[in-house]
Amino acid sequence: MTFADLLLQQTINGLSLGAMYALLALGFTLVYGILELINFSHFNVFMVGSFVGLWVLQQFGLSGQEIVLAGLPLVGVLLAAFVVTMGVSGGIGVAIERLCLRPLRNVKGPAAMITTIGVSYILFNIVLLTVGADSKNYPNPVPAIHYHIGGAVLDLRVILIWIVATILMLGLYFFVQRSRLGKAMRATAQDAEAARMMGVEVDKVIIMAFFLGSALAGAGGMIFGLYYNFTSFLIGFTAGLRAFTAAVLGGIGNVPGAMVGGILIGLIEAMSAQFLATAWTDVIIFSILVLVLVFKPSGLFGRIAPTKS
Amino acid sequence: MPNVASLLATVPEARRQQIAIGTLIVLAAIFPILIDRNDADVDSMANAAAYATLALGLNIVVGFAGLLDLGYAAFFAIGAYTYGILTAYQLQPPWNDFWAVFQTLGLATPVPADIGDGMVVHFTLSFWIGLPLAACIAAGCGVLFGAPTLRLRGDYLAIVTLGFGEIVPIVVRNWSDLTNGAAGLNGVAAPRLFGWSFGVNSVPYYYVAMLMVAALIFISIRLRDSRIGRAWMAIREDEIAAGAMGVDRTRFKLLAFAIGAAFGGMTGVFYVAKLQTATPEMFGFPVSVMILVMVVFGGIGSVWGVVLGAFILQLLQSWWLQDLTEWLHILGRAVGSTTLQKIDLIESIELIFGVILVLMMLFRRQGLIPAVRPQAALTFDQQHAEVRRGGFSGLNLQGLGGDKRTGEIALDIKGVTVRFGGLTALNKVDLQVPTGSVVAVIGPNGSGKSTLFNAITGLLDNTEGSIRFHGDEMRGLPPHTILKKGIARTFQNLRLFPNLTVMDNALIGQHARLTTGVFKAIARPPSTRREEKAARDWAMEVFAIFGNRLVPRVGQMVLGLSYANRRRIEIARALASRPRILLLDEPTAGMNPAESLELAEQIKSLNDLGLTVLLIEHKLDVVTRLADTVYVLDHGDIIASGKPDEVRQNEAVLTAYLGRNAQAAVAGVA
Repeated sequence: MTFADLLLQQTINGLSLGAMYALLALGFTLVYGILELINFSHFNVFMVGSFVGLWVLQQFGLSGQEIVLAGLPLVGVLLAAFVVTMGVSGGIGVAIERLCLRPLRNVKGPAAMITTIGVSYILFNIVLLTVGADSKNYPNPVPAIHYHIGGAVLDLRVILIWIVATILMLGLYFFVQRSRLGKAMRATAQDAEAARMMGVEVDKVIIMAFFLGSALAGAGGMIFGLYYNFTSFLIGFTAGLRAFTAAVLGGIGNVPGAMVGGILIGLIEAMSAQFLATAWTDVIIFSILVLVLVFKPSGLFGRIAPTKS
Repeated sequence: MPNVASLLATVPEARRQQIAIGTLIVLAAIFPILIDRNDADVDSMANAAAYATLALGLNIVVGFAGLLDLGYAAFFAIGAYTYGILTAYQLQPPWNDFWAVFQTLGLATPVPADIGDGMVVHFTLSFWIGLPLAACIAAGCGVLFGAPTLRLRGDYLAIVTLGFGEIVPIVVRNWSDLTNGAAGLNGVAAPRLFGWSFGVNSVPYYYVAMLMVAALIFISIRLRDSRIGRAWMAIREDEIAAGAMGVDRTRFKLLAFAIGAAFGGMTGVFYVAKLQTATPEMFGFPVSVMILVMVVFGGIGSVWGVVLGAFILQLLQSWWLQDLTEWLHILGRAVGSTTLQKIDLIESIELIFGVILVLMMLFRRQGLIPAVRPQAALTFDQQHAEVRRGGFSGLNLQGLGGDKRTGEIALDIKGVTVRFGGLTALNKVDLQVPTGSVVAVIGPNGSGKSTLFNAITGLLDNTEGSIRFHGDEMRGLPPHTILKKGIARTFQNLRLFPNLTVMDNALIGQHARLTTGVFKAIARPPSTRREEKAARDWAMEVFAIFGNRLVPRVGQMVLGLSYANRRRIEIARALASRPRILLLDEPTAGMNPAESLELAEQIKSLNDLGLTVLLIEHKLDVVTRLADTVYVLDHGDIIASGKPDEVRQNEAVLTAYLGRNAQAAVAGVA
């Protein structure tokens, strides 16, 4: 492979990873935008989503990479798997908000954040104790069709991942920008108190933010499985930290920013794995997080942080 | 039994504490004999004690200074590897004369190389030197890591520390020349005392660990009850107010980080010396979470609480869960349930930790032993004692004010401009405060009055122009330095430290005037005791300005006091710093007319003592009563200034306040 081929190949890989991080980053950004809360449980909602997707695919009789589908059955199975995964993950997100975070909404200090760490730990260990510590083979019903672009290879499944991620992100974007609830959401993010006075049901908005964020994280978890052909109870931590970096990079609280940030982090990961060393990827991404926070805390496209009194 | 209880009640509290601590020490000392030297149990206790020292370290960072650190295990790892690398057969540079010096100090010996026939260095760092050395190295890392990140908001800091906690094991794993990578360091030396090696006998480790716990409890309590601890708690309660009251925030946050890291580093030395091995897995995220769970469970900020939390959770793992699991299995066999027989609670320990975190946060945020104890309410007599109103005289407020009305300009503001985005909040403001006078700034809401105060006290970083105080430029100085120069302020929307006592609030006001550092806070020499006593006496004198409104309440939490009293505490806190000029931002806001006039009298009395005052006020009767000069701000411009009566007649002022038509109406009536 020539250098140009390598670059192209890693761009393809990076865009796939980036799509996944972007979906995950959106959940951090939606919740942070409204509650100013770093939701650590999001890390493992992503992981649980990946297992829900695995379970749904198994229900269709899929296991391993041998069974492939084509045409309508393929679309139907993937659609069903994504819908169920996103529904369940979204439900988990709503349950977390309702049971663990709403009682703490008016408590000052780190109580809510510590709670999300606890919830994250609970999800993590429930999966570890029920499915075990070994990583699980992820079924992949997409036929192994490869397109060659120069020396680089583009898989059909990568294209499908891009399509799914694009549809979800555009859907979210238009929901936030155009719908009535989306407008309420943006208003609440600006000033929850004022939004409440204007008749916005803030509780509903917060529930919606958790549902959407967690549903997208679930979709991200399924994409992880389809992309890497495995899943494990461990995947939430690293992916979560990277996606959070993506949200900060794009400007936390900013929806398009999280998407761009996710793509950038995906590309950075792919390039550093190719041209530096995989072992140091996390160090590089963490350095980006610190540098952004220190020198440009509002991120690349961040709204100007309101000065809190 | 009631006899015992009533007997106990007659013993003074300090004595009761001494008895309790003495009993604990004796129990800890004879524990290995009590349980008949059961090695496994002594070993569990030694491990629990090691975790108690970690919890104490994290408690300084999270509990005292309020910085949520999710990567605390990193410092544990740094200490562990410092000692591990310097005693294991890992780092072996070729032997030459340079190392002879270390040999005479007992830090290195020549050993034959594995490959070839040369000699290589084997480091033989003593455990007892390793403890302080690792503490220093970990503290250094804490400072290096903290310096760029501690300016971040609290929640960002949490995620950055989480990342840091993840990076350190990665570096350890990848840097295998130094650390032997994932395989871990082997052959870490056990501690030796007078030539006798501890080996794998649990008893000496137990005593070392217990001594460390005792020492760190002592240090924690001494720090907590000192100038240092008060500064940390001020930062935790309200960072901006802490800065405005003279606390150098960056320095004290770094200090908390460094001391917490030092505790962690020391424990790391102990831990690897005891295990005689170190692997990257011993210091991962689960360890950081476990220490956090101990702190949360025991009580954030509570010294005895976190120790108890650490012991309970450690022993839960090593003693009780084992028994519980067996009981569940017996129960399972009895009722014929295979599910029950399969349960292994020890494997579920992390799940249990997660549940503990969530339940504690939801139902008992103050932990097992709350850091803040419930207080006795004021007695009926104290509450209903007749309040003394009005000005004061005969108080011995030496060192407050004393500036004569020389006509010299104390505070000289020239061309100060502040812009927020497109909004010009202050536009080339000129304002002078003569020494010993009272100057008032009035103006409609949003006219820039509070922005002016923020600019003077260094809370803004976009101030243009010049702010001179007795000739020195204040612009560009950090808030704590400005306070030290003698400018103290109050805030319009009260920025007290709500979970601290009235006395602590006033003592934090004196932060910049006190000198106690870390070592003096721990050792508490007579000079420090004198300084503390003088600080408390001075605070009481300042409280006396407000008659008996604050004096009976010095031991109360600010949180539970009335609004008017909280306003008074803000003024007292500012006065406690012995300012040369006092900036009051709407001091009578929310007070009823009687209280407002009472406060006006007191401000007048302060001015009579020679304290210069710059005042923002809405109530014109208060302004007229107090001010020598009035400045009127409107939309960031000074539109008028002069004596109160002149300003009241000024047309521009009437327009700004009442609108043009209303002014015409007023003129018509007149």
